[in-house]
Amino acid sequence: MIYILFSILLGGAILTFLANKISGLLRDTFFLLTMLGATLIFYTQLHIGGLVNFSIGSFNLEWGVNSFSWYFSLIVLGLGTLAAFYALSYMKGKENLGFFYFSFLISILSMLGIVMSHDLISFFIFWEMMTWSSYFMVIYSGKNVQKNGINYILFSAFGAYAMLTAIALVYANIHSLSIVEMISNYGQFSPALQTWIPILFLMAFSVKAAMMPLHVWAPGAYSDSPMAYTSVFSGALSKMGIYGMILIFVTMISHLPDDTWFREVFAWLGAITAIMGTLWAIAQDDARKLLAYSSVAQLGYIITGVAIGTDLAMLSALFLAALHALFKGTLFMAVGAVERQTGTVKFSEVTGLIRKMPWTFIASLLAIIALAGIPPLGGFVGKWMLYESLINSNHYILVIAIFFASTSAFLYCYKFLFGFFLGQEEKEWAHVKEAPALMVVPMLLMAGFLVILGTFPGILLKPADTAMQTLGFAPTEGHLWSMSVLFNAWGDQVLLRPLVYAIAGIFLFFLIILTVKGWKNTRYVTTKDISSSGEVPLEHENLTFSVNFYQPFLRAVGPVMKHRMITWYREFGAGMETIFDFTRRIYTGNGQTYAIYVMVFLVIILLLQNTIFG
Amino acid sequence: MVGSPVLFIAIPLLAAFLIPLLGFVWKESVRILPGLVLLYLLYLSLTLMEQVVHTGTIVEVIAGWAPPWGINLVFSPLTGLLTTLMILMGFIIWIYSYRFKNIDFQEAVKYFILLLMLITGSVGIVLTGDIFNQFVFIEITSISAYALTAFYKGRDSAEASFKYLMIGSLSSMFLLLAIALIYSQLGTLNMADIAAKAHLMKPEFKILALIFFITGLGIEAEIFPLNGWAPDAYAQAPGPIGAAFSGIVVKAGVYAMIRVMFTLFDVAGTHQFLIVIGIITLIIAEMSAVRQEHLKRMLAYSSIGQMGLVIVAFGIGTEEGVFAALFLMLNHAIIKSLLFLSGSYLVYHSTGKYISEVDGIARNLPITSFLFALGSIAIVGMPPFAGFWSKWSMLTAAAHSNLILIIGLVLSVSLIELVYYFRVLNRIYFFPKKKEVVVKKPTINALLAMGLLGLLILIIGFYPDSVTGYLHAASQSLLDKGKYIHDVLSTGQLLLP
Amino acid sequence: MEFKLFDLSIVEYAFFVTSVLIILIGLYAALVKKTLIKIVIGLSILDAGINLLLISIGYLKAGTAPIFSPALVKNMPLTLENIKKLSEGMVDPVPQALVLTAIVIGFGVTAVALSLVIRLYRHHHTLNIDEIKNLKW
Repeated sequence: MIYILFSILLGGAILTFLANKISGLLRDTFFLLTMLGATLIFYTQLHIGGLVNFSIGSFNLEWGVNSFSWYFSLIVLGLGTLAAFYALSYMKGKENLGFFYFSFLISILSMLGIVMSHDLISFFIFWEMMTWSSYFMVIYSGKNVQKNGINYILFSAFGAYAMLTAIALVYANIHSLSIVEMISNYGQFSPALQTWIPILFLMAFSVKAAMMPLHVWAPGAYSDSPMAYTSVFSGALSKMGIYGMILIFVTMISHLPDDTWFREVFAWLGAITAIMGTLWAIAQDDARKLLAYSSVAQLGYIITGVAIGTDLAMLSALFLAALHALFKGTLFMAVGAVERQTGTVKFSEVTGLIRKMPWTFIASLLAIIALAGIPPLGGFVGKWMLYESLINSNHYILVIAIFFASTSAFLYCYKFLFGFFLGQEEKEWAHVKEAPALMVVPMLLMAGFLVILGTFPGILLKPADTAMQTLGFAPTEGHLWSMSVLFNAWGDQVLLRPLVYAIAGIFLFFLIILTVKGWKNTRYVTTKDISSSGEVPLEHENLTFSVNFYQPFLRAVGPVMKHRMITWYREFGAGMETIFDFTRRIYTGNGQTYAIYVMVFLVIILLLQNTIFG
Repeated sequence: MVGSPVLFIAIPLLAAFLIPLLGFVWKESVRILPGLVLLYLLYLSLTLMEQVVHTGTIVEVIAGWAPPWGINLVFSPLTGLLTTLMILMGFIIWIYSYRFKNIDFQEAVKYFILLLMLITGSVGIVLTGDIFNQFVFIEITSISAYALTAFYKGRDSAEASFKYLMIGSLSSMFLLLAIALIYSQLGTLNMADIAAKAHLMKPEFKILALIFFITGLGIEAEIFPLNGWAPDAYAQAPGPIGAAFSGIVVKAGVYAMIRVMFTLFDVAGTHQFLIVIGIITLIIAEMSAVRQEHLKRMLAYSSIGQMGLVIVAFGIGTEEGVFAALFLMLNHAIIKSLLFLSGSYLVYHSTGKYISEVDGIARNLPITSFLFALGSIAIVGMPPFAGFWSKWSMLTAAAHSNLILIIGLVLSVSLIELVYYFRVLNRIYFFPKKKEVVVKKPTINALLAMGLLGLLILIIGFYPDSVTGYLHAASQSLLDKGKYIHDVLSTGQLLLP
Repeated sequence: MEFKLFDLSIVEYAFFVTSVLIILIGLYAALVKKTLIKIVIGLSILDAGINLLLISIGYLKAGTAPIFSPALVKNMPLTLENIKKLSEGMVDPVPQALVLTAIVIGFGVTAVALSLVIRLYRHHHTLNIDEIKNLKW
């Protein structure tokens, strides 16, 4: 069945690419059919525990599904399918669509491949396929390719090569590429290898998960890809880093004799990523950049959870991973909708879309609530579990750091909502209409799922729990609800639901009453129809301020933000290029100089012959 | 037996001299004949290769003079593999250049004669078992390469060719010195015989001869700092000849050097020396490529860097290392040829061959650009294309020998490589096209040649098993020095009265 | 056949010294002189020096031509011992064959080089190698 799944995706990708030459409709049909077919097969036909084997190039390749990979495939395919519907409408009328859909399907295929690989070589191959297919997306728009595109591919390749080194080391030591064998033989490696193999792997995974200090590619890459893909990029593709990290932490780091410092370092790196990502998100004027930095920050929480590695922390990390896919997917789609309808994504340019694009607003609102971790949506559950696990494992300062990042996140959340949807309506945007249904429905579906998760987190916690059992954690199925104080304080699940229902019922009741009562008295006014201190503002006066939105706050945190990682990398890069430029001057262009090089080479070897051939 | 190895040298030489004569009878035959010859040789080498892998090395004695006295040709799995590769590359280059540029009849005669001589020389370098004979073949290759480099009159090609010739003359000088040293010591020119008697040489002379060989053959194998001629020659030669240089000529140079170091002499430290010199070549070449403004020159530096990588892999010295090196050579021949062939259409009408001139050319040349992109992605070693498997086998070989530093260096250099290839790709696809650039659509046969190479990249990428068997046999045959000596010298025993 | 490089007679020694000197002169011309023609001449001198060196390897004082003429063989049965005995006074023919080949190759290279020099002069209007540097870096 895995074969069929992969061949459907690969064949579909190629067919879609070819069909582009024939007709747009055929291409779209192929694309949708492929996505739907893959999803359908995944949910109905794939058994957990199924394995397939074959060999290529004297390597034995093995693919299979376990609960852990199933959980991540769920994120990939769920988000992928919704994004596919969205993409149909979002991408309409753009150039090179065959190329876009091809890369889209290949990246879905490679992500599934990564989680289903049971051997290192196919893991690496899929990893690289994911890299180049997503690279195609980053450069798709053709803007900043030389900067953001090269950044992305360079960092990815750096990570991939670190991983390749680790794989080569493993292979040289145990003569096998099976992940299972790598894990079971891990104890027999020399101490140096025991430290370096996980570090090299984690380097690769931190690049994809955009962890400090390897995150600098992320804002550019996320914001340059088409939004239909960015939702997958930030929602699912970055989770591949998390997938790998969990694997490494559970199977390797926990066997290290002194794993504490390792975990501390990683947890702190995650926390710093979260804080800095949040601060930078607040400073952005471009909505895509804001969400990109926010993604970096959110993944920081998840990394912290993974690094701490207690039962609850891991559960929260898995839960947050799926949740992040949901709300960040929604938000990127919302930005895409705004971008498509208005043509810009700058907060300083677009305002007051709430009445023009109500559904987009509702979806964004729900996603924002989940992102900020406000009850009763799913985000709250995940964050709560993370805090609790940190406190339980005595990481008090870490809690403060995460809490700081999390509360600061309210600022950019509000900025997002206010910037686009609230505020003064401008004539410029009077013509704007709601995005097409194909775009709105996926957003609303995901937002709705976020609401449901707030009340029934078990929907995700149960598969997360089975996934953790695959990784060797004790089963918590029976007492899942007692793992966290959150559920204890509110009693167990049986009591929780009526309570929520009751609150929701009362809320709805008053909503209806107020709506019905106020229906007739409602008077529609323009945003200018207000009096401030008895003065009626004039037409040209601006009442909302999206420019320099959080100036005082940013001034306060300014010193922290003064040092940017990217400037360091840039200076390093510029320095390297100067060296390169200097190096090529060795080839002076004078034939005689080359001849003299030959003689110098000869003389040097003659002089050193005893050292070289001694 | 379907044919003997001597045909690999006799037929193309004969054809090369027949071309001008046949041209008087029927002009088109000038273009067709080389293709027929190469196609037949390709068939021959493939069948012989299949036979050799199963039944063992074929040693062909020329003119009844048995080794160690006469000249002999050795068709072992190693030499057979390289011969097949060279003939294949030659054939593809022939397809490509069948109507490349509208050169007139006289020019075409020269071009195809020289091309055939180039291939004959390179195949001869690989097949021969006689050290002086090898020198002669190196000179045949070099002289035709000088002439081909200077083929276009409009460019700075004479300059490139002259530099090549200067350094090439030094190369032949060192080779002759080394041969003189060996002959004065051992009184033999047969490679197997030299290998068997190498221990009789005075150590200081042995090392001196080895150093002369390294310098002389290093020039052909483009190791730093002996490769000053290479970027110029690659960039100024016609596109298909650039491909021939990187796919055929360098391979022969590297083979000759490795044969001398692995088989002829058993001097300690050669492996470490190869690693060091390979790494230096790799790093300097890739660093020089990054800021390059000329497309073909960039490809040339990349080619030099790849040869450095091959030499590092040989320097690992284990069977895995040699396997990786041969695999790298194979892939490099295919991929770099594709890059040169497609690249020369990207900058077809431009005299400067500037990288900035390929901006946005993908809209006009979709297939060529696609193939160039495929080649670029393959050469930086991204799976699932051919380049990945060779890089992977190189890394595992290094890891097995605990050369972790090598892995680190090679991969860091790969990052540099990645940057400049992707910069070009971004330009091809995303930059606005310059108006003054005139685009030339590739001819059908050029497309066919490039398509074949692209197909090979995909086949090896998705099914590396198709070649690994031959590569394993070849790497064993290189390392089994005793068998080589035995195979060659035993032929002599049979023929002695 | 045993060849030794350093227990040589004066004449043989003179051959080696001369050939090395010629090689060095050729190298000097090729590496230091700036005129293309002089460089080509230097390369030719280099060739000549090496050819001399090769020839001198096969040199035997008062050696005869390596031909088994009927006068030499004189109805001796051609056994291995006899052949060895007969060939003792003969000059080694192989270096001569090598030198012949090398001379031909050297001639070819010089011809190509001179034709290139003509092309270069037409293109650059100079023969100074320092000024012919269009291709660099």
